Formats: sequence, C-alpha cells, structure tokens
Amino acid sequence: MDRSLEHELVNRGHVACPGCGAVLAMRYVLNVLGPKTILVLPACCWSVITNRHPNSAMKIPVFHTAFETAACTAAGVRAALEIKGVQDVNVLAWAGDGGTFDIGLQALSGAAERNDDIIYVCYDNEAYMNTGIQRSSATPFGAWTTTTPEASYKERPKKDIMAIMAAHNIPYAATASVAFPEDLMEKTARAKQLRGMRFLHILCPCPTGWKCASDLTVKLARDAVNSKSFPLYEIFDGVRYKLSYKPGEQLSIAEYIKPQRRFAHLKPVEVEAIQQQTDERWKRLMHTVSSWPA
Amino acid sequence: MKTEAKRLMRGSEAIGEAAIRSGCSCYFGYPITPQNELTEYMAKRMLETGRVFIQSESELAAINMVLGAAATGARVMTSSSSPGITLKQEGISFLASMELPCVIVNVMRGGPGLGNIAPSQSDYFQATRGGGHGDYRTIVLAPASVQELFDLTRDGFDLADEYRIPVIILADGMLGQMMEPLVLKDTPIAPEELPEKPWTLRGAKDRPSRFIRSLILDVNLEEEHNWRLYRKYQRIERREIRFEEYFTEGADMIVVAYGTAARIAKAAVKKCIEKNMRVGLIRPISLWPFPNEKILDLTKYAGHFMCFEMSMGQMVEDVRLAVQGKAEVSIYGRPGGVVPTPAELFRVISRTYNKILREKKA
Repeated sequence: MDRSLEHELVNRGHVACPGCGAVLAMRYVLNVLGPKTILVLPACCWSVITNRHPNSAMKIPVFHTAFETAACTAAGVRAALEIKGVQDVNVLAWAGDGGTFDIGLQALSGAAERNDDIIYVCYDNEAYMNTGIQRSSATPFGAWTTTTPEASYKERPKKDIMAIMAAHNIPYAATASVAFPEDLMEKTARAKQLRGMRFLHILCPCPTGWKCASDLTVKLARDAVNSKSFPLYEIFDGVRYKLSYKPGEQLSIAEYIKPQRRFAHLKPVEVEAIQQQTDERWKRLMHTVSSWPA
Repeated sequence: MKTEAKRLMRGSEAIGEAAIRSGCSCYFGYPITPQNELTEYMAKRMLETGRVFIQSESELAAINMVLGAAATGARVMTSSSSPGITLKQEGISFLASMELPCVIVNVMRGGPGLGNIAPSQSDYFQATRGGGHGDYRTIVLAPASVQELFDLTRDGFDLADEYRIPVIILADGMLGQMMEPLVLKDTPIAPEELPEKPWTLRGAKDRPSRFIRSLILDVNLEEEHNWRLYRKYQRIERREIRFEEYFTEGADMIVVAYGTAARIAKAAVKKCIEKNMRVGLIRPISLWPFPNEKILDLTKYAGHFMCFEMSMGQMVEDVRLAVQGKAEVSIYGRPGGVVPTPAELFRVISRTYNKILREKKA
C-alpha cells in the first residue's frame, strides 16, 4: 500500500469548500485503489467538487449519474466490464449520505443483495450539504438543518446504515474516519482484495453544514470516534465483527459537539440524552463484537 | 378585506406564502436545486402555523404523501425541479386518475438528464402533455413575476379543488431567485375555514363508504372513467384559459412567450414599438389549457408568429396547432439554461420582421 500520497488522483482545481472532509476521504481511498478505477458519482457534493468537464480535477474516469442510482449504475458498469473480460478495474460508487441512506437505499439494497462486484463508499457529512444543508436520515439527533430549524430540531437518531448493510450479508462493510487515514486506507485495501459488494461508511465533517471553523475537520472526525459517536469497526460477511479502534479515555458528547454550532440550541438535558443514546449504541456494538468476533 | 402594504419578497418565498394563505395544511418536499429556498421557507412557516412539513426520503415519497393527504381533503403542495418532477410523474398520473387536487411547483432547470441548475423552460412538453402514463392533463400555470408566483399559486389551490385536478406551477430558477415587490391583496384562509369536500376519505361512520380509485380493471368502466376525465378537461379548456396581450392589435408579427422568456420578450417588443415596428406579444399564462382561439383570432392581423422559448421547439408546436396554417410560425429557442438579453431577442425579431416587410413588398 502506498502511504506516501505521492500519486494523487485528485488534482488541484477541485471546488470543495475549505476544510471539506469528503475531499480527504476521496484522496485516501483513491490512493489505495489506484488509477484503474471507474468512479460513479450520483448527485452529491462530489458531483460538483470534481469541477466542470473538461476541467475535471479527477485523474480517473468519472460517471455522473442520477441521485438514486449510484449502486445500480456501478452494477451496470461492472456488468459491462465482465462481458469484456476486464477484471483489474475497480468500480467505485461514491455517494453522500442522502444518496445512500435516503433516495439511493433501494438501489444499494438491490446491489448488496445480488452481491454486485462493486466498492460502495458513503461519504457521510450528515445532511444534504450540496443543496444547502437539509436533513437526511444520517443527520444526528438534535442537529439543526435548514429543514429542521432550531425550534423543531431533528428528533430521530441517525439511521444505522451499517446494520442494514450487515443484514445483506455482504463480504465486507466497514466504518472509517478521515482522522484515521491509515485505518481508512487499510480498510480500502481490504475491500480492494475482496470481490462482491464492499461497503465503506466514512464520516466526513463538513464545516459549512456543521457550522464550525474550517480547520476543525480532522479534530471533529477524531472526536467523533473518541466520543464513541462514530465507532470504527468492520463487518465480515454480515456476521463477524471487529472493532478497529478502542477510544482510551472517553471524550464526552458535550465536548464533541461544542465547536459545532448546528447543536448550539440544545439544552444540557438534550445533550445528556445524546450521551445516553451514544452509550447505549456503544454497549450494543461491544456486545455484538464480543459475541460474533471476526 | 385586509390589504397589506407592498413587501419585497423572493419568488420562492412568494409561492410558500401563497400556500400558507391558501390554507395549505401539508407540504412535502425533498432537496433539489434551484428550489431549496421554498422548502426551507415551508419548513419554518408550516411549523410556525402549526401545520405539517415533511422532508421525505425521495421525490417518489413526497408525491405519494401528497396523494395520501389529498385523499383526506387537505390542501397539499409539493415542489421540486426538473429531474425531481420526472421522478414524481408516476404519482401525478395516479393523482390525475384519482382526481385528487394538489399544487405541484416545478422550478425548471436546464436539461435533459442531470443538466444544470440554470433557468430553463424545457419541461413544457412534460407539464402540458400530462407527463406520466395514461390519458390525462394537469392545469399548468406559468407565472412571470413574483406577484404572479403568489397570485397563481393561490388560484392554483382554488382550481385544483374546483376541478379535482393537480395544478402545476411552472416556474424557473430565475423567477424563484428573483426579488420583487409583492402586494398581498388576498384574504388569507386557514385550513379549518375551508369548505368541506364531499368526496374525501375520512372514515365512513354513519354513512356509506366512498371510493377513490385508479385501479379499474373492467375495461368498460375504465373507458367510462376516461370519458369522464376527458369531459372535465374539455370543461377546463372552455373556462380556464389565461393570457396577457401586449400591442397585439394590428401587429404584423406576434411574439409568443411565457414565464421568464415573456419578460425578456416584453422588453424586446417594447423596443420594437419605440422603433415603430408593428410587433406584439402574447403571453400564455395557462399553458394547459392553451389560448388556441386567441392566437387563431390574432391571425387576422399577424401573418407571422415567432415563438420564443428557453427550450428547443416545444411550445412552438402548440402555436402551430393554434394558427391552423393561417400564419407562418417560427421558433427562436435558447435551450440549456441560457437566458438571452432583450437586446439579443430584439435583433432576432428585427431580422424576421424586416424579412416579412421585404416579402410583403415583393
């Protein structure tokens, strides 16, 4: 695995916002997958970030497709490669949380059930950021968005997409964070070696939508893991679990969300509720990891 | 009647405020540019007024929420932009068959496919021909100002209820983003003040059951259902045609344009008038039903109709049908999200106009 990031496949000239976590994620993943990769992009921030053809910042072929079709378009690309007998090309579907958790879920489920031979990355910035910060089902409890104003913040927890993917018994599913690049790249390498449906869920802080300073991206990505809000783990064949990183001294949820003004309206009792939900989820995950180890 | 002073408002917000004042009690939206300001406005205002705002998980979900809510008699609205409206077509076909009233806002953007997010008029066919499968029409209203976005949305709710039909407000990114003075001349109505609808499904206690269906397997009954819809559409064609005329009387040449294109056309035609050219403008406000008779009537003056649209050869087909071969019809189309200037359009009009004059002399 090349950890030098010398062979960048994301050029200068992309148009992401300052501090975009999703660009870091793309650079790490492509560093491992290499130039023999076809990128399938549905409507999402990244469909803009690449910049306009012919001034694309990408050094690999890009296939822009409709919002709900990342997984099925990627499946079609793979089918064509198979017919041609091409085996050494990665097909990478790269969708945001809206295109994965919401409108793209049907296509994703279809591809997962068929075990289509693709790598699907959900870069999760926890809302529809490209269209101006609307809630998605990946938006965490309590967060402000333009469609969940402070007076009626999101009252439902984030959808457990990893459990949904595990329920499809796909060869590989893993969570990753842009604050843990080596772990992220190792997981990408593992996905690359396997065949069939491989799913990576990468938390990518978004300073624009999270309402925080643009130099906090990596810190918040790290804090999300250390506060157990976004645990790092792998699931093999939908049944065997492996924790990738155990946070040492736990960071509180209050500390994690403090720099994010999307949570600024929350009262201490609501922050405490998020802490309890987080602890509960962590306990369940630990139980699963110890009961069905990889 | 309470009249409010002028206020400066953004187009998308004018649509939202019109829905609030029409007693719209449910709004279902999904993010897509360039209409997110409307969704954001509705998120805030619907909650403030204690009504229902739901951001769905897809356009398909939003339009079917419209279907469910409309069946109970609520005034309902959804909004989207071109690709999203395409995803809603199945639901719109069901709404038309089940004769459920609702208002659907399409803030058009450049296409086909993913296209872009620039103002466009390329969904004319989709809107005026039904859009989804089956024999049906929807009322299509095309505003050209912030005031009209407000007024036509308000009228849209009334028309939807009167004819039990989906009404489409066909706007574009330019109108949605535009800020203009708005005068609220209407009397707002709250959802609970709306008259009872005799066909809604709200529980059949102490009365016989009612049915709202789109599944009619018996071909004879389905034919009868289609005939009934057809007669309704004929009634609408007789009664609900709207248009604006601008210097059409005695004009040798008439420009036909709607929405944003009509604003540009109006400025270009104004320049023509200043130069003593006999050029007029007709602006269809209802795109379906289309002002066929009015256009046919204008052939008594004009021998040439130029259709100016921000698409490529869509409304021109309706103009051609309307003139019944009694005048020449040409198209000046600017597809792909390009908004030409009045000066550009003036040059195009002048070229055609001078050609007409030359031919007349010869």
